[in-house]
Amino acid sequence: MNMRVAARIARRELRGGLRGFRVFLACLALGVAAIAAVGSVRVSIEDGLKANGAVILGGDAQVTFTYRFAEPAERAWMNGIADQVSEVVDFRSMAVVERAEATERALTQVKGVDDLYPLYGSVMLAPDLPIAQALAGDQAVMARVLADRLGLSVGDQFKLGVKAFTLSAILERAPDDAGGGFSLGPPTIVRTDALDGAGLIEPGTLFDTHYRMILPANADLVALEAEAKDKFSDTGMRWRDSRNAAPGMTRFVERIGAFLVLVGLAGLAVGGVGVSAAVRAYLDGKTAVIATLKTLGAEGRTIFTAYLMQVGALAGLGIVIGLAIGALAPLILGPVIEAQLPVPADFAFHAGPLAEAALYGVLTALLFTLWPLARTGEVRAAALFRDAAGPERAMPGATVLIAIVALAVALIGAAAVLSGVPKLALSAAGGIIGALFLLVLAARAVRWLARRGARAKAVRGHTALRLALGAVGGPGGEATSVVLSLGLGLSVLAAVGQIDANLKSAIAEELPSVAPSYFVVDIQPDQLPGYLDRVENDPGVSKVQVAPMLRGVITQINGKPAAEVAGPHWVLRGDRGVTYSATPPEDTVITEGEWWPEDYAGPPVMSFADEEAREMGLKLGDDVTVNILGREVTAKITSFRVVDFSTAGIGFVLSMNPAALRGAPHSAISTIYADEAAEAALLRDLASAYPNITAIRVRDAIDRVSEVLTGLAAAITYGAMATLVTGLFVLIGAAAAGERARVFEAAVLKTIGAVRGQVLTYFALRSAILGAAAGVVAVLTGAIAGWAVMTFVMEGTYRFEPMSALFIISGGIFATLIAGLAFALRPLGNRPAQVLRARE
Amino acid sequence: MADPILSLTDVTLTLKGNAGAVEILHGISLDVNQGETLGLIGPSGSGKSSLLMLMGGLERATGGKVLALGQDLTAMNEDALARFRRNHMGVVFQSFHLIPTMTALENVATPLELAGAPDAFDRAEDELRAVGLGTRIDHYPSQMSGGEQQRVALARAAAPRPDILLADEPTGNLDGANGEAIMELLFGLRDKHGSTLVLVTHAPELAARCDRVVRLSDGRVEAQAKAAE
Repeated sequence: MNMRVAARIARRELRGGLRGFRVFLACLALGVAAIAAVGSVRVSIEDGLKANGAVILGGDAQVTFTYRFAEPAERAWMNGIADQVSEVVDFRSMAVVERAEATERALTQVKGVDDLYPLYGSVMLAPDLPIAQALAGDQAVMARVLADRLGLSVGDQFKLGVKAFTLSAILERAPDDAGGGFSLGPPTIVRTDALDGAGLIEPGTLFDTHYRMILPANADLVALEAEAKDKFSDTGMRWRDSRNAAPGMTRFVERIGAFLVLVGLAGLAVGGVGVSAAVRAYLDGKTAVIATLKTLGAEGRTIFTAYLMQVGALAGLGIVIGLAIGALAPLILGPVIEAQLPVPADFAFHAGPLAEAALYGVLTALLFTLWPLARTGEVRAAALFRDAAGPERAMPGATVLIAIVALAVALIGAAAVLSGVPKLALSAAGGIIGALFLLVLAARAVRWLARRGARAKAVRGHTALRLALGAVGGPGGEATSVVLSLGLGLSVLAAVGQIDANLKSAIAEELPSVAPSYFVVDIQPDQLPGYLDRVENDPGVSKVQVAPMLRGVITQINGKPAAEVAGPHWVLRGDRGVTYSATPPEDTVITEGEWWPEDYAGPPVMSFADEEAREMGLKLGDDVTVNILGREVTAKITSFRVVDFSTAGIGFVLSMNPAALRGAPHSAISTIYADEAAEAALLRDLASAYPNITAIRVRDAIDRVSEVLTGLAAAITYGAMATLVTGLFVLIGAAAAGERARVFEAAVLKTIGAVRGQVLTYFALRSAILGAAAGVVAVLTGAIAGWAVMTFVMEGTYRFEPMSALFIISGGIFATLIAGLAFALRPLGNRPAQVLRARE
Repeated sequence: MADPILSLTDVTLTLKGNAGAVEILHGISLDVNQGETLGLIGPSGSGKSSLLMLMGGLERATGGKVLALGQDLTAMNEDALARFRRNHMGVVFQSFHLIPTMTALENVATPLELAGAPDAFDRAEDELRAVGLGTRIDHYPSQMSGGEQQRVALARAAAPRPDILLADEPTGNLDGANGEAIMELLFGLRDKHGSTLVLVTHAPELAARCDRVVRLSDGRVEAQAKAAE
């Protein structure tokens, strides 16, 4: 084979311009652009988090305690290592506005601060006051959404606990907003010393204290973290520093970024179908050239290389266009995106994600073009003398097949390694391959059914329908590429739709039917009798659960650091609720071991949640050390039990024997199951009698979770839309490629007596059948994906969502109709003689 | 004498191309009688095919009048022309022009369906048998030879029993034997159904089988003669 000859042939062929390659370029450019843009935004946010770590955290480093303030020794150590130390108290409470006509209550996350707050950054208030001035005396600032909910204006009064505060300003943005993660209540900031007399920070009350530090410029964060762990690990002190200021946010950005890249890969796969179809159509038009070259003595490999070079050059152009769009879009849209983010982002040119997108582009282009390119070897000179649609294509040779498999493995491997979520990447790749396989089968089934349908006696006389079915089922039709491209795009959208609808229905419809009405926290032991008297004697209350509650951090398992034994399990992340009970609570299901005797007074023992224990590799007899209020309690696991978090009832991973926690100050947690009609009066009475307690209305919490889910679903839907847009490009490409054939068909049909309405109906039916087929298959694959995600990832139940499915099928029909009919106008407008003479 | 089935009066045709307007036909007047077989001959580019297209309403005359069965084709819109062809005309092309996504049977049945024939498929099958393709009815055009494709095209044109059959060099793409067979079939169908046949051809032996021959040159009628003359 002569490479130079192949290169010369390729160059001469490319002189013909980019005609017929617009869809090829668009598909590749769009897929690469989507991945490059998502990757760039992800890196921009990660860089922003890194660069602003201290601001987000509120200091160079922070130590946190649960339930208590720092002891003098701890405070002395902090003062020793830091230039400045600022104390922040953080807890949930109820903000109450008493008016003559009604009393308004709303959940809020209270932040008690000192004079130094904030150490870094500044608090944005409306009106624009210095924070020190805004918090002077018994003044407070709160988030606009909370003030609006309570009907508060600047200057109005509200209560936290039993103390009144004056709203001095609206809190627009605090520099440490993003560090705290998800919270149910909007924030209120007051001075910590102003909370004296509010009755909120009592022994056993749920609160955290954060000590934020400005460290000397030469401070060694690694060494300081090690020192903190060494000196204070048994006191429950938790260290965090500016290297990872918002771990929850970082994790979230990583996950969502990786997920969107995988959605982008689905888009690239759709684009691949378009690329493949474009190359196929291009080579169909080159049959005569290839046959002629063969006649002149060109070897098959020379011709293959010449066309591979052409496709390579065009793919390179498509990838460069995609990279340019992917790099520029985040820069241009940066301010808009940043306004939507709770964290600062550093929008700049990032080479890493662009290189990743380019790699995906190259592999995809090769993967999807080798098969059609291999067809250059099939062309015989005799092909010149056969008109229109040829026979079905044979499989390419072994070398090409091996190369295709190798490319697919390389693409999936790259996605698995580069996304950082190999399991998800492999599942997504499996999903895409499965969907493609299903779609190919479906396309064949659609063609077979259409062929049968066209010959059915029932459609005789319905000329337009018979013609449409015949065209869909006949040789050389566009059924496969349309069902594949549009079907895959719609499949991604259908899967997102099914999962989103299922999650929403589980959270917004099913959960409220089994969940309690209220979660009540911070009930002091002396308030329990009165609390139970009020709640249990209310005819509207069907069930009340009460459990003592403390919070603790699991520090060790069998004497070794917990993270070393159980890895990064969520149970080890931060502090967890701990309860105690002499007897198993009602409905407890012990899966292994035994509950301790009611009068047990021996060394501490515990019952651990069964599923979490298995995930962490725990077994009966293991010793688990929990730091509660600075005291280490080591308890032996004597039983595992079922803990169901899905009903939003009381569920503790850790439950100990009462003696183990005797003496530790604590409060109680309670759930109330009540009729909706009884809820308001209950809340009013409880809040009036016990101003320190916090009642969380579960419906409100569910709404908040739904809001977050809606935002997430929107982000993923945008990603899926990119896939669908690529699918539409492919669709338009298929319609454009088929226009010449439509022109001819319209001319022949008119010649034998078809009026324009009949021709148009035929074209429309043909498009609609393909769109409906793509939609139906997409709903099927989307439902399978939705079922898999709901069953295996969410561990929930799956229910087919017909509305989402209907939307997908209608969307498929609409898209193909628009694309098909847009390219039907020229065929309809031509006079038969012009068309037919041109083909003589 | 009965009215002519086709009557062209001072017909002109000018086509606009990239290089400007080209005058194809210059004031042609011609009558074709019912049941007559008319051959159109002349050198390439003389306007034979264009004239045939005008007779079929496949092309619109720039000037003059084209009457078919007494109806003015130049006054009809595209749909009216299609309906007229559906009821009265069959056209056969040199390149067959079968729809590639349809089987032979479907290609032949389509004009019958368009005409509302309730037994379209039965008649189409009969027609295919008549042209010797009874065993190929479920084959697609790409699975047939040129001669077979032209037979399907003939069956498609003849199936609705048209008053007028228009054939544009129907043997131009075929070898001698196949061409001969197609002409036998074409004349046979014409005899069987009593249609008027207008045939564009380069072949003198075909022209000789026509009742009358019109020779075109440079878009004008150069001569007319009875075939025997």
